[in-house]
Amino acid sequence: MADAMVKLQGVRKNFGQLEVLKGVDLDVAKGEVVCILGPSGSGKSTLLRCVNLLEPPEEGEIFVEGHDICRGPGSGTGEESWELDFVRQRVGMVFQQFNLFPHKTVMQNVTLAPRTVLGKPKAECEATARRLLERVGLGDKLDQYPERLSGGQQQRVAIARSLAMEPHVMLFDEVTSALDPELVKEVLDVMRELAEEGMTMLVVTHEMGFAREVGDQVVFMDGGVIVEQGKPADVLDNPREARTQKFLGLVLER
Amino acid sequence: MSQFFNQYFNFNVMGEHFGEVLVHFLQNLLLFAVAAFLALIWGLVLAFLRQLPGRKLMPVRFVTIAYIDVFRAVPILILILMISGGVPFLTFLPHSVRIPEWFGRPDPFWYGVAALVIVYGAFTAEVYRAGIEAVPRGQVEAARSLGMSHFQAMRHVVIPQGITKIPAPMLNELISLLKDTTLISVISLSEAVLVSREVLAERLNSSALTLTAVFFLIIILPLARVVDKLIARSQLKITRGSHIEVA
Repeated sequence: MADAMVKLQGVRKNFGQLEVLKGVDLDVAKGEVVCILGPSGSGKSTLLRCVNLLEPPEEGEIFVEGHDICRGPGSGTGEESWELDFVRQRVGMVFQQFNLFPHKTVMQNVTLAPRTVLGKPKAECEATARRLLERVGLGDKLDQYPERLSGGQQQRVAIARSLAMEPHVMLFDEVTSALDPELVKEVLDVMRELAEEGMTMLVVTHEMGFAREVGDQVVFMDGGVIVEQGKPADVLDNPREARTQKFLGLVLER
Repeated sequence: MSQFFNQYFNFNVMGEHFGEVLVHFLQNLLLFAVAAFLALIWGLVLAFLRQLPGRKLMPVRFVTIAYIDVFRAVPILILILMISGGVPFLTFLPHSVRIPEWFGRPDPFWYGVAALVIVYGAFTAEVYRAGIEAVPRGQVEAARSLGMSHFQAMRHVVIPQGITKIPAPMLNELISLLKDTTLISVISLSEAVLVSREVLAERLNSSALTLTAVFFLIIILPLARVVDKLIARSQLKITRGSHIEVA
């Protein structure tokens, strides 16, 4: 428990009549990279969105660094301030569609949250942003607007933007799915570096190669539950469950 | 045919009453300026209240939506008559509110402003809302996942983007508002339509009304063109990525 960076217990989530998560348990240790696979509609994105309370779960508990984020003072609805402040300043998220702010430059995208949320001085935020953007290979794009960037570049800005809040955990929600094939690698490389530096990561992905190389744990979800989980080599090469075998068969066939 | 032209386009009548109609048309413009300024603010407030998050603020949202629905449905004329005919008798209000004569304007002016702001606040609120809702949901999610509060996300992310999407529909509301200032003539605010009707009664000739219509045309046509340009420019800016700060 002390080591669990993120811990989910019996997490359930409904959208109206539709049960999207039917009781999910998951432990993520500090520095661990967990790759979540599964067919569309299996609940994997919803699971990520529960961890930073974009979708507060109906039932179950989620612990981040040992704190129950669904039961904080002021609690449970996901609309109150305690959990949100706690979670969102510790958990960063990167989206499939990048969601950069189109009316702000690359630099402003990265500095906006540290300035408004943390109230840090402009110069400090810009120095941090410059460092982060250089690290993702975009040190020369500071004054560009997102629209002028390729998808891969935009996604790297999104990663830098998230890192600027100094998160302890990063959530990646199919971050390469909207990219042209030749741009996927540059984003995965950044993620790989992050993993090597010890960032705790939950990665929803269809990139089997990434899951195999970078993942410490692979989780296969289907129908709102975790069907199988374990070391990448075990789950990907010797899946025990029929559903996992079928899914991997379909994905690896390509 | 000459009878028709004489009735509506008698240049002698227009010439004789030109100054009088013009001066009173300025009253319409003043009414418009004051009402538009207040309605744009009031509408933004309503739109903001309507977007408040959370279960606890549900009653606020409900009341706001009810307000917007009701006052988009009520004819302004009825409201003008109810305000000017009723407010003076509400003795629990201070005298300066019952019979307002602020800044040297007569009380019908302020009754008119009140009616226009109440109604056009509801209409402009819907325009703001359309702008806010046109901003993709992912923008809010990104802002929120970075730790911004609902208000910070609205201020720094949603409103600056939403506001670039509204000039055209907002202009349509403002044009309607300008035209609806003529309704205040029914409570004897002496503005362009009222004096034109006096001319009609006196000379049995409608040309002063035509002249008033021309004044409206002269204001509204270029306004439409100006905003067309603004839209074109703002779209150019969006594609380049504009930076618009909203306080």
